[in-house]
Amino acid sequence: MFRIALKGVLARKGRLILTSIAVVLGTAFLSGTSVFTATLNRTFDNLFSDVFKNVNAYVRSTEVVDTDFGFQERQRIETSLVDVVAEVPGVDAAAANLQAFARIVGKDGKPLGNEGNGPPTFGSSVVDSKADIWQMSQGRFPEGMNEVALDEASAEAGKFVLGDTVKVITAVGSQEFTLVGIANYGDVRSPGGATFALWDVDTASSLLAKPGLIDAVIVVGDGTMTDEELTAQIQAALPTGKNLETITGAQITKETQDDIKTALSFFGILLTIFAFIGLGVGSFVIYNVFSISAAQRQRENALLRAIGASRRQVTLSMLMEALAVGLVGSVLGLLGGIGLSAGLTALLKAIGVDLPSSGLVVGTNTIVQTIIIGLIVTVVSALLPAFRAGRVPPLAAMRDTALDTAGKLRVRLVLGGTPLLGGVALIGAVIGGARTELLGLAILFIFIGALTLGPLVARPVALTLGRPIASLRGVTGRMARQNAARNPKRTSRTAAPVLIGVALVTAVTALAASIQAEIRGVFGEQFTGDFTISSEAQGFGGLSPSLALDVAKIDGVKQATGIGQSVVEVEGKGRFITVINPKTVEGIFDIGLLDDAKVTSLSKSGVLVSEKTAERDNLTNGSTIPAKLSDGTQVDLVVEGVYANDQLAGRYTVSSELFEGTTVSRFDFGVYILKTEGTDSAALRSDLQKLVDSYGSGTLLSKDEYIDKQAAQVNQLLGLIYGLLFLSIIIAIVGIIITLLLSVYERQREIGLLRAVGMTRGQVRSTVRWESVITSLIGAVTGILLGFVLGYVVILSLRDQGITKFELPISSAVTILIVAFVVGVLAAAYPARRATKVDVLAALNTM
Amino acid sequence: MSPLDNQTSSTTLPPPPPPGSNAAAAVVGASKVYGSGDSAVYALNDVSVEFRKGEFTAIMGPSGSGKSTLMHCIAGLDELTSGDAYVDGVNLAKLNDKDLTVLRRTKIGFIFQAFNLVPTLTAEENIKLPLLLGNEDGDAEWIARIIETVHLRDRLTHRPSELSGGQQQRVAVARALASRPSIIFADEPTGNLDSTTGTEILTFMRRAVTDLGQTIVMVTHDPVAAAYADRILFLADGKVVDEMREPTAAKVLDHLKSLGN
Repeated sequence: MFRIALKGVLARKGRLILTSIAVVLGTAFLSGTSVFTATLNRTFDNLFSDVFKNVNAYVRSTEVVDTDFGFQERQRIETSLVDVVAEVPGVDAAAANLQAFARIVGKDGKPLGNEGNGPPTFGSSVVDSKADIWQMSQGRFPEGMNEVALDEASAEAGKFVLGDTVKVITAVGSQEFTLVGIANYGDVRSPGGATFALWDVDTASSLLAKPGLIDAVIVVGDGTMTDEELTAQIQAALPTGKNLETITGAQITKETQDDIKTALSFFGILLTIFAFIGLGVGSFVIYNVFSISAAQRQRENALLRAIGASRRQVTLSMLMEALAVGLVGSVLGLLGGIGLSAGLTALLKAIGVDLPSSGLVVGTNTIVQTIIIGLIVTVVSALLPAFRAGRVPPLAAMRDTALDTAGKLRVRLVLGGTPLLGGVALIGAVIGGARTELLGLAILFIFIGALTLGPLVARPVALTLGRPIASLRGVTGRMARQNAARNPKRTSRTAAPVLIGVALVTAVTALAASIQAEIRGVFGEQFTGDFTISSEAQGFGGLSPSLALDVAKIDGVKQATGIGQSVVEVEGKGRFITVINPKTVEGIFDIGLLDDAKVTSLSKSGVLVSEKTAERDNLTNGSTIPAKLSDGTQVDLVVEGVYANDQLAGRYTVSSELFEGTTVSRFDFGVYILKTEGTDSAALRSDLQKLVDSYGSGTLLSKDEYIDKQAAQVNQLLGLIYGLLFLSIIIAIVGIIITLLLSVYERQREIGLLRAVGMTRGQVRSTVRWESVITSLIGAVTGILLGFVLGYVVILSLRDQGITKFELPISSAVTILIVAFVVGVLAAAYPARRATKVDVLAALNTM
Repeated sequence: MSPLDNQTSSTTLPPPPPPGSNAAAAVVGASKVYGSGDSAVYALNDVSVEFRKGEFTAIMGPSGSGKSTLMHCIAGLDELTSGDAYVDGVNLAKLNDKDLTVLRRTKIGFIFQAFNLVPTLTAEENIKLPLLLGNEDGDAEWIARIIETVHLRDRLTHRPSELSGGQQQRVAVARALASRPSIIFADEPTGNLDSTTGTEILTFMRRAVTDLGQTIVMVTHDPVAAAYADRILFLADGKVVDEMREPTAAKVLDHLKSLGN
């Protein structure tokens, strides 16, 4: 029997290839993801082991504030420690290390790099020492308050040459420096595409931190002792009671590598989710192909049964075929994935992320994982069709084939209707107040229900959607409509990938539209100023606090206030807190303080908390919250007010005074401006713009522009999801192509007959094309409906986050329908051509 | 070079004239060769035949005698290796695929042995199929008359799967007649039917010729079916070997026996 199965596979290479393509698509993305992440990890591993290869020990503070987002702020240490460490026996060289936000302003007045979305922009200390990672490739090391060096990539990007004047923005404002050196970071021109401005240690401290403070001391040993011994020696020599630790070079290497891996893992997980969704969608295509091929081979299988093959043998032979298809598909997918990942790496390089190349990493686990998952998905998808093939009665050999009905209607109605109703009931329950978590189950139920009911609704939906086509396109349209409706199971399985992709996209678009509406509402109500200067740096750097003060001095500005963000440790956990200037914020931003509390009276160690936080932690006016600032300063924050509008302010809001006298570097993410009544907006705007230009960072926007921009940020989320749509579109197209090819093959006699009685090739093509369009539209229409439900459910689940508006993304739905139409036309191209190639005589002779 | 050049029969003769004006279709010096050289097989070997308007012709002959090939070549479904085929005075060799398709749609009707109908279309749509494909309305009165003749009025909205074998063949006959073609080709139209239903179909075909003035060419094995025709052509080894006018089943059987000897 195995040999029969094998022969069957080899005899139908065309079908083998078709089925394999479905497997290839799913597994290619999986292996591509795996190879790409492994390559990226290895690249950074290599980079940092290279960077730290001469480092034997590393001295830093033990005080660190961690947040949920992998964002970490470590307390700084005193510069004088460099000299202490340098005196320790066994130390050859010790160098200060300091790194923080800084932006280089290009000659055109625009900051280098892509604020917000690009690699980070840094300022760093640099010193001519064996222990420093930076080496000058041109010029010399900067010295004093007026000299700077740049990394080679930034110098090139900004077209800077030695002797040029370079403007750099830091926490203390923007300043001009003379470029005296151009540097390399280890072996690369710039690590990971980040930009670097380099100063001597004291200058760096005063610009980036506070005078006299650095991040860490890098130590190179003289080779007389092991790293562990050296580390112990240094630790012993350090002053006690200052929360200092010494770790080995190997430890700091490992730590940095792990940090990067954690940061990258989000990316990897996201890609993997995409890959699995693709694989899931692809499994529908595989299932469909096996079902069709089983139906077409009914006669052959019945003949085998008639001459004595057992059910088991027929089923097994189908599964053997699936195994062969899975193997071929997975191997091709693996190769395709390696190509895909090479493409991704090249893309990264093209958009300016300069990574040392270390070659693609194709690990054994990538190979094993891809092939095993590919095999499992294929064989599981083929199980049902294989069992069905085994159940073919021997008598079917005598009957005409390939008639497919929607099975036992009532059974299907119950099997599909139950989960669907269950899902709807769950949504109802959640609206009525049940736990939000039940929505996940509701979505699962609704999807299962919809996919099970697919074959039942495919026929009526196909006939309805096909009606306009039938009346517009005459008999070819009529036949296309009927063809789409004639095998409801097949049609619904073919439309399923389209359905899933469209449902996901519609849901996310609905979510995005709702969030945008929410943002517009919130900003419109709470921001009562006229202009803003905003920074796109998210959580890292931003606008210098002096900008708000300078803006306030401009004629025509009634009031200007800066709002920023910082990290504070509360109950052992890092929290983002909003930092305001209580003296200037009143009248520009309204956070809805309750019970007559006044924002203007917020004191140095006072804190305002959101209503939800107050409720959850039982806080009232006068409660104290022990907190630790990111430089290690301990404060007891006193609650001085509770506010209702937490969409912008978050959970905690403090005064900027809190940071006075600490070493925390503070930035504003925005400056909000109220003009004096009667001032000409245009004139004021140009004055403000001049100031912004002189700072070199920040974007000046009117209130409306600002609100538009906040709303537009949601589009980034959409961009990500459209990537997913693209993947499922490709799989859907392949699915439709395969199904149409098999249908065309199955309908050869019919096509032959039609050609004989006078159907032109053009009409044959048109019939196939419209059938494809109808199938694709079935998926799109049902997918959009399901997506609306899904979107509603997601928004329902976010009701606690304050998102309540549900907006139907009608224009996106129209776009999706148009895309589905185009997909239908594209997918039909090859099968339609094949249909016109049907040999009329051969088709007629098989009658 | 055409393999025909080896033949003494036609090379020296001038090209035969096109068929006369009362011919619905004709072939002149028609040959169809598969393969070449020693392994060449003649499906048709220098056949010249005319099918006159308003005449019912049956083509008989053993399997492999070339009768189906002859029909396919006149009907524009297959190409001759040499010689010419004419339908309604038009030389098929001069037509491209598109023109041939239009010719089949407008000038030729087909009745096949089985799988005559498009399963997704209703009986009425199947009957009007050639007209629908050409985006024409056709002659409504004529079509109504045909539907009446083949007794299909109450079956028009049914799909082929809801019709009996005989009803399906009647739909096929009606379709072949619907566009008033110059000639109808029938390939074993009763081959899949029981004798009662077969008789019914043959009667309709006979009436289409006698009452409606249509031209029919039918390929068949069945002497009884052939007896409905006005004349019978006997083919063997790719050549027309005999012709019989005013046939009866008995005469046909006798003739077949004599050929067998």
